[in-house]
Amino acid sequence: MMTSTLKESRSPLVRALMPGRPPATHRERRRSKRQARTVASQLVACLAAVLLWQIACSTGVVSSTSIASPVEVVRALGPLLRASSFWAALSDTLQTWALGLGLSILVGIPLGLLLGASFLGYRLTRFTIEFCRSIPAVALLPLALLLYGATPRMALVLVVFGSVWPILVQSVYGARSVDRVARDMAASYRIRRLDRVFRLLVPSAGPLMATGIRIAATMSLLLVIGAEVIGGAPGIGLEFQNYSQAGDIPAMFALVVVSAVLGLALNLGLQATERRVLSWHAVHRVPSQ
Amino acid sequence: MARRAPRTQSVVRIPGLLLLEIALPITIVAVWWVASKGSQSLYFPPLSDIVDSFQRLWLFDHVRSDVIPSLRNLGLGYLAACALGIGLGLLLGAVHWLGDALSPVVEFLRAIPGVALLPLAIVLLGIEPSMRVAIICYGATWPVLLNTIDGVRSVDPVVRDVAACYRLPRRDRMLRIALPAAGPYIVAGMKTALSLGITLIVVSELMASTDGIGYVTLQAQRSFAATDMWAGILLLGILGYVLNLAFQGFENLALRWHHRMHQSIKGEG
Repeated sequence: MMTSTLKESRSPLVRALMPGRPPATHRERRRSKRQARTVASQLVACLAAVLLWQIACSTGVVSSTSIASPVEVVRALGPLLRASSFWAALSDTLQTWALGLGLSILVGIPLGLLLGASFLGYRLTRFTIEFCRSIPAVALLPLALLLYGATPRMALVLVVFGSVWPILVQSVYGARSVDRVARDMAASYRIRRLDRVFRLLVPSAGPLMATGIRIAATMSLLLVIGAEVIGGAPGIGLEFQNYSQAGDIPAMFALVVVSAVLGLALNLGLQATERRVLSWHAVHRVPSQ
Repeated sequence: MARRAPRTQSVVRIPGLLLLEIALPITIVAVWWVASKGSQSLYFPPLSDIVDSFQRLWLFDHVRSDVIPSLRNLGLGYLAACALGIGLGLLLGAVHWLGDALSPVVEFLRAIPGVALLPLAIVLLGIEPSMRVAIICYGATWPVLLNTIDGVRSVDPVVRDVAACYRLPRRDRMLRIALPAAGPYIVAGMKTALSLGITLIVVSELMASTDGIGYVTLQAQRSFAATDMWAGILLLGILGYVLNLAFQGFENLALRWHHRMHQSIKGEG
């Protein structure tokens, strides 16, 4: 399973590293050559960025008391990754994130499809949903803090409030984007309601729902960490606060790197899942060249 | 002419639809008002009290001291993010090898949640307004940047070839071909950036500030002044909605040519 996802991967980096049969045609060879060049340039750019950062730190262009150099960050990463408190915090953050996103999906998708499929439901709720969606979820942080204190529950409430709207709205759009002809045909053939939902509505709305989930996933990571940094719920965000109070700048930079890797991993994971689940859809079909 | 017929019909139906759309919000507010009447709960005060304290706080006592600074920081950070995102995006989109080479670095920087940078930004810049502007700018740049790159690369290959054949100067190619083609993408990115910016301004004010709507709201929560806190949340909600509405207006204006073009293409087809 692992290898098949890697083989399907369109990332030039992954493709370049994949062992496989040598490209046969002239065009394929040219393409793989171009990809190799891209990967090389990407590696050079990454190295250059890190080098520039290091030079800026060691020459004192930026003050060494407030910005850690890459060497220091790497050194700080070791103890950080060995500390059990870090892994506990990471698991807290991920748990709240996954639970919040899962709840939002569970609520947002059925409700969104239902509202989108009915004209009355759509019209009745449109304004309300638009309004609630544009409320910044963090504005509710004081209320959540007041109700639940600095607990994972507080973070969870915030995450659900922030991430349910994009999923709901995209599901409504998705349900409304069902092809008219297909819908009429399903009606005139008197296809069972259950089949209409799972074979027409859900597949048609799939790509838009996936977009909603992707937006919600990024948003909820932001909100979990926000709730932890400000509200003091246990997790990566609280670790930030602890290190910042201790004045441990390299450790803070190391945490930033870790959270970036976390965000990146979540993004890539969702993208890969989306491509797999929706591989039949035109958006994801790779055009044959 | 036959195509016009449904439109006149829908004009007749608009008041009915409007009534339908505002029915639910009115019901919700009414239910809230009645249900919270005489409420003794510390957390859920009566709506009438919230409205009172909303009037007392925000009309217009704290406007100058708190609302204006919030909006100014948001505006500065957002505009800087848009300028940076569009400028860099045009460059990275047009110069393919550079865009490809830098894409991992961009992806990595983008993946850092803006909130995670807050503690660091406080160490670096203190709790000055400039710190908040910087955080908003950092968080809001990425959607604009990535969408601009995608937009520039979406230029019709035929158009690009024609421009190359006629040896249009680089400036014309940028301003008259790449920028308009990227327009819808850029606007979509700016929309995401706006909601990110609003989130970040609130977060940064909740965390470290001496003024701003978020600050007033959190102070109210800390002193258990629930009605003031609710009033702050209400204001943030209204502000979020109004800003989104304003952006919708801007979008319609900026992309009018685009919608018209699509309509005319559809009309001919």
